[in-house]
Amino acid sequence: MDYGFAEQIGFRALTLLTFLPALGALIMLLFLRHRPNAFKAAALVTSLATFGLSLYMLTVFDTTTAAYQFQENFVWINSFGINYHLGVDGISMLLIVLTTFLSVIAIIGSWNYVKDRELAFFVSLLLLETGMLGVFGAMDMFLFYVFWEIQLIPMYFLIGIWGGARRVYAAIKFFLYTFAGSVLMLVAMLGIVWWYSKSSGTMTFDIQTLQSAGFPSNVQSWAFLGFFIAFAIKVPMFPVHTWLPDAHVEAPTAGSVILAGVLLKMGVYGMIRFCVGFFPEATIKAVPWVMVLSIIAIIYGACVSLVQPDMKKLVAYSSVSHMGFITAGLFTFNAQGVEGSVLQMINHGILTGALFQMVGFFYERTHTRLIKDYGGMARPLPVAAAFFSLFVLGSLGLPGLNGFVGEFLILLGIFQYAKIAAAIASIGIILGAAYLLWMYQRTMFQELTNKKWIDLKDLNLREIVTLVPLVAAALFIGLYPAPFLEMLHAPTQNILAQVQPYMADKQSILQLASSFLGGF
Amino acid sequence: MKASDLITILPELILALSACLILVVEPLLKKDKTASVAIALTALLAAGVVALGLSGETRSAFNNMVVLNDYARFFTVLFSAAGVLTVLMTPRYLEAYDRHMGEFYALLLFAVVGMDLMAASRDFIAFYVGLELMAISSYLLAGFLRYQMRSNEAALKYFLTGCFASAITLYGVSLVYGLTGATNYEQVGQSLMASGNTTAVAFATALVLVGTGFKISVAPFHMWTPDVYEGAPTPVAAFFSVGPKAAGFSAILMIFVTVFAVSADTWSTLFIVLSLVTMVVGNLFALVQKNIKRMLAYSSIAHVGYLLAALGALGRGDDFLPGQAILLYLTAYTFMNLGAFGVLAYLKTQSEEFDYSLSDMAGLGRRAPWAAALMSLFLFSLTGIPGTAGFIGKFYLFNSIIRADLTWLAVIAVIFSAVSAYYYLRVVMYMFFREPEVEFATKEPINGPLAASLALSALGVLVIGLLPAGFWSAAQSAWGNFFG
Repeated sequence: MDYGFAEQIGFRALTLLTFLPALGALIMLLFLRHRPNAFKAAALVTSLATFGLSLYMLTVFDTTTAAYQFQENFVWINSFGINYHLGVDGISMLLIVLTTFLSVIAIIGSWNYVKDRELAFFVSLLLLETGMLGVFGAMDMFLFYVFWEIQLIPMYFLIGIWGGARRVYAAIKFFLYTFAGSVLMLVAMLGIVWWYSKSSGTMTFDIQTLQSAGFPSNVQSWAFLGFFIAFAIKVPMFPVHTWLPDAHVEAPTAGSVILAGVLLKMGVYGMIRFCVGFFPEATIKAVPWVMVLSIIAIIYGACVSLVQPDMKKLVAYSSVSHMGFITAGLFTFNAQGVEGSVLQMINHGILTGALFQMVGFFYERTHTRLIKDYGGMARPLPVAAAFFSLFVLGSLGLPGLNGFVGEFLILLGIFQYAKIAAAIASIGIILGAAYLLWMYQRTMFQELTNKKWIDLKDLNLREIVTLVPLVAAALFIGLYPAPFLEMLHAPTQNILAQVQPYMADKQSILQLASSFLGGF
Repeated sequence: MKASDLITILPELILALSACLILVVEPLLKKDKTASVAIALTALLAAGVVALGLSGETRSAFNNMVVLNDYARFFTVLFSAAGVLTVLMTPRYLEAYDRHMGEFYALLLFAVVGMDLMAASRDFIAFYVGLELMAISSYLLAGFLRYQMRSNEAALKYFLTGCFASAITLYGVSLVYGLTGATNYEQVGQSLMASGNTTAVAFATALVLVGTGFKISVAPFHMWTPDVYEGAPTPVAAFFSVGPKAAGFSAILMIFVTVFAVSADTWSTLFIVLSLVTMVVGNLFALVQKNIKRMLAYSSIAHVGYLLAALGALGRGDDFLPGQAILLYLTAYTFMNLGAFGVLAYLKTQSEEFDYSLSDMAGLGRRAPWAAALMSLFLFSLTGIPGTAGFIGKFYLFNSIIRADLTWLAVIAVIFSAVSAYYYLRVVMYMFFREPEVEFATKEPINGPLAASLALSALGVLVIGLLPAGFWSAAQSAWGNFFG
């Protein structure tokens, strides 16, 4: 069956989806500049329409195949074999829905958050959405790179203009880290395109074509490194994670929600699409290394979270830990690990997005994020405390909520890879329960230490509307993950098939360690 | 001399005669400078159009001293574009200093004639005449604000280093003449090829390289650049940063590929070494500049570093891909750099106290949103963000370097372009993230010719950024009959 857009859905769904937010932003800039309520409504309508469209695409989506669907393809820069080529598989489709979903949440959530330059704020959010959707939809490396870089700019402004006290530092750090990684990726891209054009005589940036190129080992190892560094910075993996706490703490709530919810996933998505797709051999060789780094991230992120005095920073470091699970799951390269990893991307997006949103709501009321300033907040804010507890429990992996499903699958995968790794990773889960519950206890329970907060207003209707979809999503995936996993089966099999020929080379951590020690 | 010779140099003729016309008209119309501006614009446009109109065939004139082929045509159009953008941003700026005089445009046209000649020359004598015509006009332009000490300083510095550089170039040329007895590129190239890469040839190569290296501000011959850019009138600095630089590259490409083909290994290695030095100097010094004009000066040095890497690749590789990439890069660079300087020129017209310091940019996003937005676009383009011309330039450039098996050099270049993001984005940061310390008035919005200049620059940046195919094929065809 052909998965061109015309046969499948009848219109250029992916182009429309990608540029709808940008179009909304343009309309806001041109016609609604001086009417705050109108442009905020327009932003909301735009994001809702985008979300609706992505849901509609989900209904048309064929889950039985790993082929790229809703494909659109036309020539952009002919002499270099660069095409405007869009298409999605199950993984990118889910991430697209996550993106459009969280964008709606972010827009409703920050309805009254900014007072200064509101128009620019909402325009930035929408442009960011276009950038993210483009990254997930691109089937051409050049196009991917364009979107990958372009979404840096709205995020840079979001952190830099509407951020906290150290926003300038955080914004520049965020930009430079990512940019440094992505220019290396650019060199790697040009390198493999060159190799391909030498061997086949045609120049192309098409991802599918290059996935079947079969690069030789030496090309693979160098190019893998170029791509991998860029993605590892984005994830972020230990030890290049240091931009993340700064960016998260300083970013406005909506920025944190999107950053944790979607931008980090772009790193893992890139690893799946490029590292695995182009360089399966090098990827398998890298398995024990990535595993070690991931497990360090899990434990290190959790330990640092334990001692954070700042709620937002705690959630930020917990992201480092959780993303460690996701990369570890992916690099097990067995069905459970990979599916769990992708599902956990969605889960982490929902739960961490929700946690950041909650911290934002608290902050709007108290103007502090320090845990020691809180205490007994469940008394003035019972509804908020209830929501908060749900997200905290989901995040620490309580069965029945979505976090559990992903973590369980990932641990199952890691266990098959190496028992010792699974054992250490489980310590990360225990630590996760510790820092999250301890934070919850210190902020929501105990005596109401700050008497001035007895009169705080509980969540209003808009805030509840922001949170209810997140709760619903968390419960739905937690209780009935089957439809999501079903979408992932075919692409997962595809990933495993790509690495299959090299699986014999897969080393466990112990083998890596012994070969190291043997050297001494 | 035949009539067809005159047709070949018609673009240059138009420019030179119009410059003379301005000098005649100027005293007649005392107050009104519109005529001078109009003549200059018409002449530049006409030169570009005529060059394009004489397309298709390769014309050579004056015993093959100058040639009008796609290569010369490419640069003629590029220089005309740079000239138009500069002329448009000038009137309001010079009025602010009460120095709006027609001579400015005449000098600018003469400089463009020199630049066109450099790209079209096929003979060391013609090249040298072009170089000097451009240089002498440039010295005068740099000192155009003659009641400003900085402007005088700029002119003097530029003059002294420029003379020095010209002399070194000439010394190299005289060596070549001594070795071969010819000044025509093709003849010289053939005799050198016959004699082989001797020490004398290598020495001559190095001398010509150093002399022309001054003009395009290759480190360590770059010292004059920041001072001259800072002191010269802003539109002039804008012009210097793109015009003479592109002209320098047009001549360097031509001379090294045709004349010094025999010593390709020598100059390729030299260019790679100089590229590394230039990237380091340009980027690291740009990091610590508090003055935006000086920052842009060092940034232009950094960009020359990337271009030199491609020149090195040109000497190594077996195709002209790096040469084509250099042409495209120069085109992209023209629009984004003129744009960035144009915004600075606008800000200077709005407030005398504006001294191009970073802190004066604080809060610009609020005071003058359009200026700040345009400046951001140009700075993002200089950084190399996709969607802008700067990215396309870097994409093609790094691609050509990698294809010459110099991946390590491309890696260093991209790391430096990541470094450069810091100093470009710092300006954006000041404009949008900082509150102003001193409140400058922006008396009027961007309007008149200046607005046209900025709009055209922005358009250029976006069109090259999104639809580069046409520009690339122009650069390809320029190299198609490079030798013709």
